[in-house]
Amino acid sequence: MAGIDQSKLKNILSALNKNKLDGLVLTDLHDMNYLLGEIFCENEATVLIHKKGLVIVTRPLYENDVKKYFPKAKFIPLEQDQHLEIIKQAKTLKLKAVAFDENKEFFAAAKHYKKAGFKTVSNFINSVRATKTEQELKIMKESAQIAYGAFLYIKKEIKAGMTEKQVALKIEMFMRERGATAMSFIPLVSFGANGANPHHLPDDTKLTKNTAVLLDFGCVYKGYCSDITRCFWFGDKVNPEYQKILDLAILAHDTAAKKAKYGMTGAQIDALARGVIVSAGYGKYFTHRTGHGIGMQDHELADISDLNKNKIGLNYCFSIEPGIYLPGKFGVRHEDCFYMTKKGIKQIK
Amino acid sequence: MTETLKKFQKYLAAQKLGGAVITDILTINYLTSFTFAGEGDAFLVVTPKKATCYTKDMYLIDIKNKCPFLNFVNSLNISDLVKNLGKQAKKFVFDPYASTYLNGIALYKAGVKEAAKITSLIREVKTKDEIKLIKKACEISSKSFEIFKKQLKAGMTEIEAANLLEGITAKLGGKGFSFDTIMAFGKNTANPHHINSNLKLKKEMPVLIDFGCRYKGYCSDMTRTFWFGKKPSAEFKHYFDAVFEAYTIASKALKAGKSAKEMDSLARNYFEDNFEASKYFIHSLGHNLGLEIHERPILSQRSEEILKENALTTIEPGLYFKNKFGIRYEDTFLITKTGSIKLTK
Repeated sequence: MAGIDQSKLKNILSALNKNKLDGLVLTDLHDMNYLLGEIFCENEATVLIHKKGLVIVTRPLYENDVKKYFPKAKFIPLEQDQHLEIIKQAKTLKLKAVAFDENKEFFAAAKHYKKAGFKTVSNFINSVRATKTEQELKIMKESAQIAYGAFLYIKKEIKAGMTEKQVALKIEMFMRERGATAMSFIPLVSFGANGANPHHLPDDTKLTKNTAVLLDFGCVYKGYCSDITRCFWFGDKVNPEYQKILDLAILAHDTAAKKAKYGMTGAQIDALARGVIVSAGYGKYFTHRTGHGIGMQDHELADISDLNKNKIGLNYCFSIEPGIYLPGKFGVRHEDCFYMTKKGIKQIK
Repeated sequence: MTETLKKFQKYLAAQKLGGAVITDILTINYLTSFTFAGEGDAFLVVTPKKATCYTKDMYLIDIKNKCPFLNFVNSLNISDLVKNLGKQAKKFVFDPYASTYLNGIALYKAGVKEAAKITSLIREVKTKDEIKLIKKACEISSKSFEIFKKQLKAGMTEIEAANLLEGITAKLGGKGFSFDTIMAFGKNTANPHHINSNLKLKKEMPVLIDFGCRYKGYCSDMTRTFWFGKKPSAEFKHYFDAVFEAYTIASKALKAGKSAKEMDSLARNYFEDNFEASKYFIHSLGHNLGLEIHERPILSQRSEEILKENALTTIEPGLYFKNKFGIRYEDTFLITKTGSIKLTK
């Protein structure tokens, strides 16, 4: 998809207005992809958004694309020192309060912006991006459906003797065949004690009967990520302790899903899930946050963690993924993605 | 201790620098061989004798096991790092092209000096291990293309064909792609940065495919243009031969010690002298690559850099005729003392 998304542009302009800004410099690839679609390679374009339009400074070889997708934008072909041109353009347009993102701009260009009197903002587009448009939600649901389909598929396909890598590849191929263009992250497949390390990457460990299986994966579909985790016992002699902690993780997930309300902070939602695990005595084995924001990237703003004292806004999308990890034994995690509505959180599915 | 960190420490000592502060994750992963997921997950302070990693919580447990050669500070606050540098700060450098303003201004105010592009400089010459991984990435891409070409059929859209190619690559062990695969049919080939569309492939059309996969983070890059059908237009054949000849001249000349600019001139002058066509060669001849798809030096008229032994570069001349067709031919090369080794095929 390429071209300006008008509803996103409206959200950006109103956020600028709220912050008393009349212009914003974009160079970060994700920030640009959000508004303009996937056109430019990294570090090849600099964009100035202002109330009346766009200035796009980029390598001359993008001329066709810029003219086709942004016929109204001012196009300035330039290979190097694009930031100096942006400063010049801001002057010509008589902009009074242009900002750059201190978390995105490299120091080399930003020091010139600062000298020119530009203001700083911090993760500005990320904040705008947290609120998904209806169109974005629709695509995220499609992405989630592909991922859930992959889980149903692999649950049937998985066999003793397969390696973690082989299972990961099957999951990937299933999603690619359904239109996924990339994985949200390397599909995580952990057998047995490997699952006790939440960062374990798939290796050549073979699946044997009566082993814990942990699958955590998602795909990028039309630019949007899905993310799901499912755990199950492979074999019929389920370890009782495993069953206990799996049930507990699912209960923690369901409790958060049911009780999270509009107006709550990330910390409050984290506490809903964590409370279940803590009161069962497994608190110290739940070693990560309950969830993270998700959208065009697998990790976005809207942390569901005790550090996030900000309210989770309407149409924010995030995962709920409580887990319990018993070193040397196994680990469990149960994860789906949700979005905030006035009536509480709803699963993206 | 990693080979890359050792190399960097030697460099710091040779430059008589007190040390460097690295804040970009790509270079931190490069130096430690650890895999941090994203920006802001860690900082690294390297001196000629030691390296200290700033990170937190879950990462800390994991990296302490995997990288026992590092020292650790449990913090992700740049002001803690600055405090610990203390009076030594003035002997340290940071890369203004790889540090965000937020990190950069904190370091700058503490007296840490700017060292432009130091991170890309240290990553330019590859170690033996890195070359192995890039070779593997190139092998997977080449094999994928070979299989793909046999499965490409009339009626497929550009998007479907790109998906097919990427699926084959994933099956062969590629982990992600160097960039979004460019799959252009017909007139779309005239746009060097074409965005894949729903245009269907028909017989007797040019096809341009520019793609590369990653293997353990390392990129490969190749482009092929061919005529789909049996009756290529005389004009297409004419310019295909021109591009292929420019590619051959440049790749034969490639070796350590050549300047990036003279490499670009070889192809550009060939197009101009023989076809008066240099104005249709609208991009540079190539670029180095590694953990990033575009690394410096860029083989262009604006470059003043010299190509180094054991660096990797693409050679990718192209000609583009608006509303008609475009042609590009590209491979990834390892630069050696006496010449080069082609890694994609």
